[in-house]
Amino acid sequence: MANILAFAETRGGELRKIALEAVTAARTLADTIGGQVHAFVAGAPGIAKAAQQLGEYGADVVVVVEHAALEKYNPEAIAATVAARVQGGDYRAVIFPTSALGSDLAPRVAAKLGVGLVTDVTDIQVEGDALVVRHPVNIGKVVATVRITSKPALVGIRANTFTPKQSPRTATVEQMQPASDPAASRVVVKEVKLGSGTKLDLGEAPVIVSGGRGLKAAENFKLVEDLAAAFGNAAVGATRAVTDDGWRSHSDQIGQTGRLVSPQLYVAVGISGAIQHLAGMRTSKTIVAINKDKEAPIFKVADYGIVGDLFEIVPALTAAVKEAKARG
Amino acid sequence: MKIAVCVKRVPDMDVRFKIAANGASVDEAGLKFDMNDFDSWAVEAALQIKDKDAATEVVVISLGPDAVQETIRKALAMGADRGVELKTDHIPFDGFAIARALASELQGGGYDLILFGKQSADSSNGVVGAMVGELLGLPVVTAISKLDISGSTGTAKREIEGGQEFVEFPLPAVLTIDQGLNTARYPALKGIMAAKKKPLEVKPAQLGDQTVTVSRMELPPERAAGRIIGEGAAAVPELVRLLQTEAKVL
Amino acid sequence: MSTAHGIFIAVVVLALAFFSYNAQRLVRYMRTVGAPEDRGDHPGTRIKNLLVIGIGQAKILRDPVAGPLHAFVFWGFVVLTVGTAEIIAQGLFPGFDYSRILPGPIYGLYTLSQELFALLVLAAVAALLYRRLVVHPKRLQGDAVHAGDAIFILSMIAGLMLSLLALGAFTFALHPDAASLFKPASVALSHVVSGMSPHALEIGRATSWWAHALLILVFLNYLPYSKHLHVITSLPNTYLSNTSGPGAKGAMRYMDLEAENAEQFGAADVTHLRWKNLLDGYSCTECGRCTAACPANLTGKVLSPRKIIVNTRQRLMELAPLATGDFGEFEHPHLDRGEGGDARAQGEDANTITAVLENRLLDNYVTEDELWACTSCRACVQECPVSIDHLDIINDLRRNLVLMESRFPPEIQPAFESLERNGSPWSFDPGDRAKWADGLDIPTMAEMVERGERPEVLYWVGCMGSFDDRAKKIAVAFARVLQAAHVKFAILGQEEKCNGDPARRMGNEYLYQMLARENIETMDRYGVQTIVTNCPHCFHQIGNEYPQLGGNYDVIHHSTFIERLLEDGRLPLNGEGRALTVAYHDSCYLGRYNDVYDAPRETLKRSLPVVTLVEPPRTRSRGLCCGAGGGRMWMEEKEGKRINVERTEELLATGADALAVACPFCMTMIRDGVAAKESEIPVYDIAEVVAGQLRS
Repeated sequence: MANILAFAETRGGELRKIALEAVTAARTLADTIGGQVHAFVAGAPGIAKAAQQLGEYGADVVVVVEHAALEKYNPEAIAATVAARVQGGDYRAVIFPTSALGSDLAPRVAAKLGVGLVTDVTDIQVEGDALVVRHPVNIGKVVATVRITSKPALVGIRANTFTPKQSPRTATVEQMQPASDPAASRVVVKEVKLGSGTKLDLGEAPVIVSGGRGLKAAENFKLVEDLAAAFGNAAVGATRAVTDDGWRSHSDQIGQTGRLVSPQLYVAVGISGAIQHLAGMRTSKTIVAINKDKEAPIFKVADYGIVGDLFEIVPALTAAVKEAKARG
Repeated sequence: MKIAVCVKRVPDMDVRFKIAANGASVDEAGLKFDMNDFDSWAVEAALQIKDKDAATEVVVISLGPDAVQETIRKALAMGADRGVELKTDHIPFDGFAIARALASELQGGGYDLILFGKQSADSSNGVVGAMVGELLGLPVVTAISKLDISGSTGTAKREIEGGQEFVEFPLPAVLTIDQGLNTARYPALKGIMAAKKKPLEVKPAQLGDQTVTVSRMELPPERAAGRIIGEGAAAVPELVRLLQTEAKVL
Repeated sequence: MSTAHGIFIAVVVLALAFFSYNAQRLVRYMRTVGAPEDRGDHPGTRIKNLLVIGIGQAKILRDPVAGPLHAFVFWGFVVLTVGTAEIIAQGLFPGFDYSRILPGPIYGLYTLSQELFALLVLAAVAALLYRRLVVHPKRLQGDAVHAGDAIFILSMIAGLMLSLLALGAFTFALHPDAASLFKPASVALSHVVSGMSPHALEIGRATSWWAHALLILVFLNYLPYSKHLHVITSLPNTYLSNTSGPGAKGAMRYMDLEAENAEQFGAADVTHLRWKNLLDGYSCTECGRCTAACPANLTGKVLSPRKIIVNTRQRLMELAPLATGDFGEFEHPHLDRGEGGDARAQGEDANTITAVLENRLLDNYVTEDELWACTSCRACVQECPVSIDHLDIINDLRRNLVLMESRFPPEIQPAFESLERNGSPWSFDPGDRAKWADGLDIPTMAEMVERGERPEVLYWVGCMGSFDDRAKKIAVAFARVLQAAHVKFAILGQEEKCNGDPARRMGNEYLYQMLARENIETMDRYGVQTIVTNCPHCFHQIGNEYPQLGGNYDVIHHSTFIERLLEDGRLPLNGEGRALTVAYHDSCYLGRYNDVYDAPRETLKRSLPVVTLVEPPRTRSRGLCCGAGGGRMWMEEKEGKRINVERTEELLATGADALAVACPFCMTMIRDGVAAKESEIPVYDIAEVVAGQLRS
């Protein structure tokens, strides 16, 4: 019986949420084919402690690679080691996260093994000899069903899709030495900067709260900033009208002549929805509009709209979002 | 310096797509094609190096049918020096097959840098660049949003979830380029005319076996028409509920 | 032959020779540096322009104060030139005067004309001097203005008139004759000198005569060294100009992109311009009417159309001596270069060969910011009394920036890319182009042709009507109007692409021709002959510029089309409606480019039973641009006041109940302006006004 290897991504010595998602996906797959789930975790000495949590989510075996030089992501050493593990075992599939790290690591491993890889996968099925996965293409406008026939098949799962599910057992820990000397890697991660020190860029923020003319005055942008802060991972955008008037800097402008954005959530506050602005944010996954004019064009593209006075609605929304976030 | 940039011809993404009759591909009728955005930033990155050192040679490579020559010519119009078409009837989905074909062309080319876009807008896998690097045994850095090359070392910034990573690497290297590194220059007519005369070689692509194939393509469920869910602050609780349960963004 | 006679002949010969030398030099500069161009076509139209604009001073008279003053000076000069010829002839052939060849009464009238015009010109010059020295009008100040030169010229003219009047006075005093009826001024002035002895009178007469003759010859030879060269060049310039026809007004210059060995696209320097552009440079009088009418300039942008023309002359005069081997002038430049602006004429290195060759019109004289600030509204061309075409130069410089150097405001790159990929300047799904027509039972050309039918007219919707929410309502309204009149029409639907005007105005001729040729191919395939459109840019582009690429259609703007329907009684309107005061905002591309001013107004009057039309101060051919033209719709406005706000303030100040427009771009800009002024005034397209009055 072939097994499934799941790469468990860590950060700062802790497992990231997507690591548990990978193990869950592997567990579901392993149960279908009657195999084991082997979780792979690498890091600075002490990372072995993650084995317990990995076992809770279904890992039968946890392969632990500990080395001082693995404290930061070490692409060459880790790729070599994962590949070595796969070559030394009988694996039907290897599950990677689709993340900055996973997208860097998975293709290296795939090329070393000479096998197939599909990333950003939303579903995994077994069909005879092949693994059949679903993968959005064409910026999400089309969904492809893809067959992978290589042994193993490498898959990168999309975040927030394979909800972590407990399937507890006591995992066997297997220590493994890095397959290449981590200190000799050519590509070296020198520094990692995290946290709110750097302002979230409009191009990457999962949530954008944007303000327009309806705010009436530059000072009122505080409402937008407060709402963005309530979301925690939001950037603040603006329309051309308000950047032209100098309320916000031009680099905040979203629209035809500014930034083209596609966040998970776009909240348009006091924005009418002129064609130039729409051209900049139409592909956002979810659009919320708040405007006092129910005929405003923004409501035609918004998934959810609230008509009314933004000076009442936005503070209420800010409070509600803060509460929802706190509840977790 | 000698730089290779691999570019892909992809359909324009502003349209609503239709599925072809065979159910396994997108209907190409009426589609407009252009260079993948990420790849154009890779070309721009190479040209910015060439701007500073005119002795740099920039070679553009694209895999696909003869139509990719248009894409190569665009890179030539931007300022690249010569192009190579690796000819095949249809660009496969299997990233490894593509990587194999590209690596076989790049091998022995003496390139100091080989640049890719981070991912293509159509197949959206983002794997070919790193695979090529592996096959060539070269250092690979992916998803670069800031780049500095000095002599035979480079430093790059990568955006990671909630932060940035700063990486050092030696040349020669394979790099994949992310959004934010630069804005691709618009080719002047002068460049477009010059591009017509630049050399473009056509060679067969050595793809080999493919283990990853698309068996079906479908349109996702239609985006439900939006609705006004209420008026005033009273509608806020309902909005939050919908954002949590329906849209799943909260 | 007397000494005086001999001296006079010598002086005349020398003066004419010297003038001829400079004239040839200036012509040589123009023809060596500037590319050739044929302006010999349509002599009939050109003569008409010469008569109306040149001799008739039609554009000069648009200024109610300076206009008549200048016209009097000009007409005075024309009339007095006849007298000048008499004087020169007298000098060459002593004893000659026109009474030898003209019958008595005619000679009398001739004499009277000289007297009256001399007085008129003197009065006008006095008023003009007062204007310059005391009133200091704004447009006569600022960059590119030679104040001293102007005062000198006016003074010389005054001197010419005074010497002429003095001559008349002394002559009459010496020989009082029966023709005193025709010499009122001379008669009156002769009283002043009547007390002098005949000998003194003769000295006075001779002095006045010589003063006048010498002043004429000095004046003539001063012209090449002065901005008043326009005295020589303005009439030829008016004849040779295309700004009032022949040909489509405002049509941009055709560019052959396929030409073998074409290395230069657009213009970066005077060597890339045509001789006519350089003649424009010679003809500029620095009057500033262009700059005073420029919407960019009056809202604080750096663009000054006058400066661009003066810069063109400056650069020509900097380069031409070198280009023509005129090293005397190169070493010691004397011929007028115009003044002000960014001329590198100052400085130590200025006159070295390297410096001159390294300079170019673009960047060293005219900056990018000036060029991109232009909305192509054509106000400058409209106002120019000597028919200079500022836009021809601005457009050519823009073409160079885009086609040769890829230099343009970064925010327009997405528009270029979207035009190339999607056939529209915004990144909307081209498949959505005809969605506005869903459920309205409007056939596409393809559908009609498949049914074996032909439409009466093609309704060209345009990108605004297809994708902009507000403009879609205009399309719906117009479609309803067409249907109510039972007009058999079709739309191109998804086969329609942007007409290319934004690309062309922004200098991207390559992209423009690609789009235009595709549209022409589509329309010719369907055998389209008549087109109606509600967008003045589409209207102007397809009607006036597509013929350059082989697309010949009869294009009608919807305001004209609706007016015709109303005249033919094809539109059933209900006659009700409350009294409304409406201010109509003229679209530049409809108005100044195509002279359509009345159709929209008539349409409003006919469809709204009780309507009062109020005109803003700047209206019709003086209308202020909304700010969107010239591709500026896609550019950011970073400096000064926003043009659309300036215009909206003016429209609001009329006190109208509603504003009306006939262009979807004006609609967007004026609505934006209205919102900025926090007004609730409604803005309608005239199609919507008519649709609202349809009897259901």
